[in-house]
Amino acid sequence: MPKEFTLLSHALRNLGRRPTRAAILVLAIGLLVAVLVFGLSFVRRVDSSIRATSERLGADLLVVPTGSRGAAEDVLLEHRVKTFYMDRSIVERVRRTPGVARVTSQTYLATIGGACCDVPDTIVVAFDQESDFVVRPWLEKKIGRKLGKGEAVVGSESAFNIRLGLTEVDGVLFGNLFHIVGVLEKTGTGLDTAIFIDEGNIEDIIRNGKVSLRPGSVSVVFAKVEEGRDPARVAAAIEDTIIETDTVARRDIGKNVAHALGDISRMFLATFAVASLLAAFLAWAVFSGVANERAREIGLMRAMGAKESHVTRLFLLEVLLIGAAGSAVGMLAGTALSFLLASGFTILKNVSTDLGVVERLGIGAAGLLAGTGVCLFGALAPLRRTRSTEPLVVLKGD
Amino acid sequence: MPRLAVEQVTKTFGVNGACLRAVDGVSFEIEAGEFVSIIGHSGSGKTTLLSILGGLSRPSSGRVLFDGLDVYGLDGDALSEYRCEKIGFVFQFASLLPALTAMENLLLPGGFRPARPPAGEAAEKALELLGLMGLRDKADVLPSRLSGGQQRRIAIARAFMNDPSLILADEPTGDLDEETEAEVMGVFRAMNERSGATFLMVTHNTELARQAGRRMKMHRGAMLEL
Repeated sequence: MPKEFTLLSHALRNLGRRPTRAAILVLAIGLLVAVLVFGLSFVRRVDSSIRATSERLGADLLVVPTGSRGAAEDVLLEHRVKTFYMDRSIVERVRRTPGVARVTSQTYLATIGGACCDVPDTIVVAFDQESDFVVRPWLEKKIGRKLGKGEAVVGSESAFNIRLGLTEVDGVLFGNLFHIVGVLEKTGTGLDTAIFIDEGNIEDIIRNGKVSLRPGSVSVVFAKVEEGRDPARVAAAIEDTIIETDTVARRDIGKNVAHALGDISRMFLATFAVASLLAAFLAWAVFSGVANERAREIGLMRAMGAKESHVTRLFLLEVLLIGAAGSAVGMLAGTALSFLLASGFTILKNVSTDLGVVERLGIGAAGLLAGTGVCLFGALAPLRRTRSTEPLVVLKGD
Repeated sequence: MPRLAVEQVTKTFGVNGACLRAVDGVSFEIEAGEFVSIIGHSGSGKTTLLSILGGLSRPSSGRVLFDGLDVYGLDGDALSEYRCEKIGFVFQFASLLPALTAMENLLLPGGFRPARPPAGEAAEKALELLGLMGLRDKADVLPSRLSGGQQRRIAIARAFMNDPSLILADEPTGDLDEETEAEVMGVFRAMNERSGATFLMVTHNTELARQAGRRMKMHRGAMLEL
């Protein structure tokens, strides 16, 4: 037996009178929020990955062979196994370009599982340890020294790490035995699946004949520009002077993916807008019904001394309870979808980092606000009608 | 000073372009503790007058003074507080909120008071009133599971929850059988004696009206003392 009767208890009782109707509206709001949460998670995951990659490479410019820009982004962003080469002399020519402060190069080799190597198709990155500023920070953090000849470190998601989960093991790469001396931390880039070796191993690899790489080749030159220089201008200067290269400024890395992402975002936005309209219309219809059904009750409450604010608060509470319940359902469904469907979307599978707790909470909060806001928007007109209910008319039943 | 003073109250409605005078220049006074009945045919303006006295409908002209206070000089919220603290309504239809139990229906008016009574105190009072109505065992029952007479008695009990000074009853036994009607009137008289509240009951039932200490009659919006 209740000792006190609050507006919240009253609102809950009212909602319990028509559970099916309340459930349908909760479901509609839930679907809307699920679309929003899934869409935001999708876009944020891909966007974070692109930003993380461009930041973690530590270079202002990427110089690749003409026509290989897409392939380079596939390797760096999407864990794809692709190779492309240019003459090593380009490293020096880039270094000499006005505005360039530092350069380093990497050579990408593709393994073929069972043919040359112990691992399935993956990228092996041979890098110059003397000039390197891309891998070194991760390497120093992990093993605290340079790699020796015949030694390799692997990315956190590389086949070696996944299969063995251990360091201090040996593996054959291109007919050469390599000792795995460390696993790098997750970087959120395509290089997480790669295997890293010192450039000095390339001679032996070519000698074994297990790879179609001409001596004196590199895949990519990373460059840092002098302080105060505009990377875009330096990139243009490199492309002007070294015509056999394409140059990508850091902020342009993943531009194509970003464009695709923009289209996907607009698609989600359109879906969300349509779902919002439908949910708002449903909320209007449901709460119009509620306002009509309860006109006499509202008149009774006013006669008992309820102020307009009491009636408004009771109605708002019901709207907010439905909005919040729908949003909670949508937040769970949207988050679950973003995990379940992650493997079904190539772009998510290849180009995405996991979202942090704070980011997920932020998306959840956005969903809660949107779901409750749409429900409230739909209920505004019925709410206004309820507030203006004339008690006398209701009591006389006119 | 009379508990209630009605001065030249008129209420007009526009109906199909014509002006209908539902209440036509009514004046009377009621002293504290009186039990007054107003008799009249359907459409004579009884319910409209009751709504005006209860602060539910603003008169077109005239004044309603409660303990000397001009009721319609109050703003919206103060008028709600007047209804909450001073008036207890008993309506002509089953007026319980269907989603709430008998007990919750009784606790409802307390929630509208500017200074809410302590929770335990309100519950105690609700149980006491239910006991007076012989319905203590129905506290947790929903209205749909109560008889018409039981619902009516709970509505009467609810009217007393905020210790009102004036009870306004609109055809309180309209749809009840003779036995329940007598029961309800018995409760009214008992409450009138017990609480000292002033009762104003409108009815078209002459027999019922005779049970009041003082009778008035409404005819076409005008008031006649009997």
